[in-house]
Amino acid sequence: MARMKFLCDAERCIECNGCVTACKQENEVPWGVNRRRVVTLNDGVSGEKSISVACMHCSDAPCMAVCPVDCFYRTEEGVVLHDKDMCIGCGYCFYACPFGAPQFPQTGAFGMRGKMDKCTFCAGGPEMDNSKEEFAKYGSNRLAQGKLPACAEMCSTKALLGGDGNVIADIFRDRALKRGKGAEVWGWSTAYGKPDKPQQEAPKGAKS
Amino acid sequence: MRANLSGVRHFFLGLMLILPLFGGTAWAQAQGQDTQAQRQQVQPGNNAPTWRKARSSVEGYTATKGRETGVLIQSEGETWRQLRNGPITRYGGWLVVLMLVAIGVFYAARGPIGLHSPPTGKMIERFSAFERIAHWAMAISFCVLAVSGLTLLFGKHILLPVIGHTLFSWLAELSKTMHNFVGPIFLFSIVVFVLKYIGDNWPRAYDLTWLVKGGGVLTGEVVPSGRFNAGEKIWFWGGVIGLGAVSCASGLVMNFPNFDQTRDVMMLANVVHVIAGLWYIMWAATHIYLGTVGTTGAYEAMRDGYVDETWAREHAQYWYEDVKAGRRALPSGEPGAAASATATAPPQVQH
Ligand code: HEM
Ligand code: SF4
Ligand code: SF4
Repeated sequence: MARMKFLCDAERCIECNGCVTACKQENEVPWGVNRRRVVTLNDGVSGEKSISVACMHCSDAPCMAVCPVDCFYRTEEGVVLHDKDMCIGCGYCFYACPFGAPQFPQTGAFGMRGKMDKCTFCAGGPEMDNSKEEFAKYGSNRLAQGKLPACAEMCSTKALLGGDGNVIADIFRDRALKRGKGAEVWGWSTAYGKPDKPQQEAPKGAKS
Repeated sequence: MRANLSGVRHFFLGLMLILPLFGGTAWAQAQGQDTQAQRQQVQPGNNAPTWRKARSSVEGYTATKGRETGVLIQSEGETWRQLRNGPITRYGGWLVVLMLVAIGVFYAARGPIGLHSPPTGKMIERFSAFERIAHWAMAISFCVLAVSGLTLLFGKHILLPVIGHTLFSWLAELSKTMHNFVGPIFLFSIVVFVLKYIGDNWPRAYDLTWLVKGGGVLTGEVVPSGRFNAGEKIWFWGGVIGLGAVSCASGLVMNFPNFDQTRDVMMLANVVHVIAGLWYIMWAATHIYLGTVGTTGAYEAMRDGYVDETWAREHAQYWYEDVKAGRRALPSGEPGAAASATATAPPQVQH
């Protein structure tokens, strides 16, 4: 089974924010929440580089480790998902995540943040695939439709790659060889540096 | 053996990492390294300075507004995870268990601290209604915070496997909401309590004698003290005020994340909060023990406000003498010399 990963080629990203927009539109994410963002280093000076970042679906995910209600799970394809019905909005996943992926719909006075929201690799949540309930809580489940994440598909320069980790790594290696520079794979050692934790079932609860 | 070694390593890691790793990394990386623009002059195509930046907590530009959205990768989160999920949960949990066991052993070996002389049957007012309300407001909100806090920290390991995800997440949600709203109430009740009780908890010379003799708890000697003994005073200053201030301050940092405080600040607050909270819970356990089954008559004093005169003489001799001699008023404000006269005012329950 493929192990899904994201890869952003910093030599190609032109900071157009197309991925950010694609994600918002595809998943109709809550107000104030951005599942994906583009960050530019050395902005406006020589050596400027942009990187598109969202949840990387880590192998040994810190969010999953610190969640006090254990509402995260990994699919067979290595996608890290969570169950919003169980989330208590404590914010711990947001503290622990290296990439700043978990987001909350409310500002949080008295710790009232609402349910955590993050990138699902366009793989929905624990509800029935492509059901209305699943869409309302998590957005699209493109993986169940045999498609890949909307952000990577929309990327105009193909800087952002999302899919089988081996395949996208090969594409990237070819590119780096041809251009003779920019061989650094951003974020992979942080996200995938440790061995994959075994697949974990979705927490069992009453589901409509 | 291996597990043991890694446990010890974790412990020291825990001790050493708490402070320097929060916020220290960005500083180290800003020291004496060339920028991407400089590097490109000498080594075209070498992006090392940029990747260093991406790994540090230096903020880049992003069109996405929000807290720390310009940071690509932060590594403090992993440190916090190792600390909280590792030594804090493991050693913290066992310490709390150990404390409860120790209290049980003490009770079995020593039994309750009773009276040396027979009760006189004459009651004296020890706490006014206001004093009792102030105490119970603090005590009840403390217990709510302790139980809900422990649920958030250990529930995943202890309750979740037993009661399942649906029920546990409901309980955790309830715990979190209670914790977040009772926290500020607790803070308020501490302030009222401290203002009311600080006078009688002021340290005196005779407190030293009491401490040297260990309060006579083991020898059975009756050691004189003021209205509160040195042990209670240490709990007042170190526990109620000291740990109260630390746990409330760190709790508020997490409770109001709407001031755009950064993640490392909240993680530091969490570590401080849990350590202070667990000490607080352990210390409070000894206080609750001594205030209930550990000392005959103590719980009734805080429930009804009255103690037997023998109790007052043996547990708070200087205070008792002051009241009897009319040098100070009763807690409710009535003149002290009238104590024996009003002693007919009965408490509801006595034994
Ligand atoms: C002003 C008082 C307090 C405030 C505002 C406060 C606030 C908080 C907050 C915001 C959290 C994070 C989890 C959440 O969002 O619910 C928390 C966790 C916690 N608190 Fe408090 N708290 C207070 C007092 C206390 C006290 C007195 C204790 C101990 C008796 C305590 C023990 C804990 C524990 C054990 C945790 C769990 C930490 C974890 O799971 O990592 N808190 N508190
Ligand atoms: S990127 Fe963050 S949210 Fe996504 S799996 Fe890793 S730790 Fe969890
Ligand atoms: S905010 Fe929700 S998902 Fe994140 S750690 Fe807390 S309960 Fe788990």
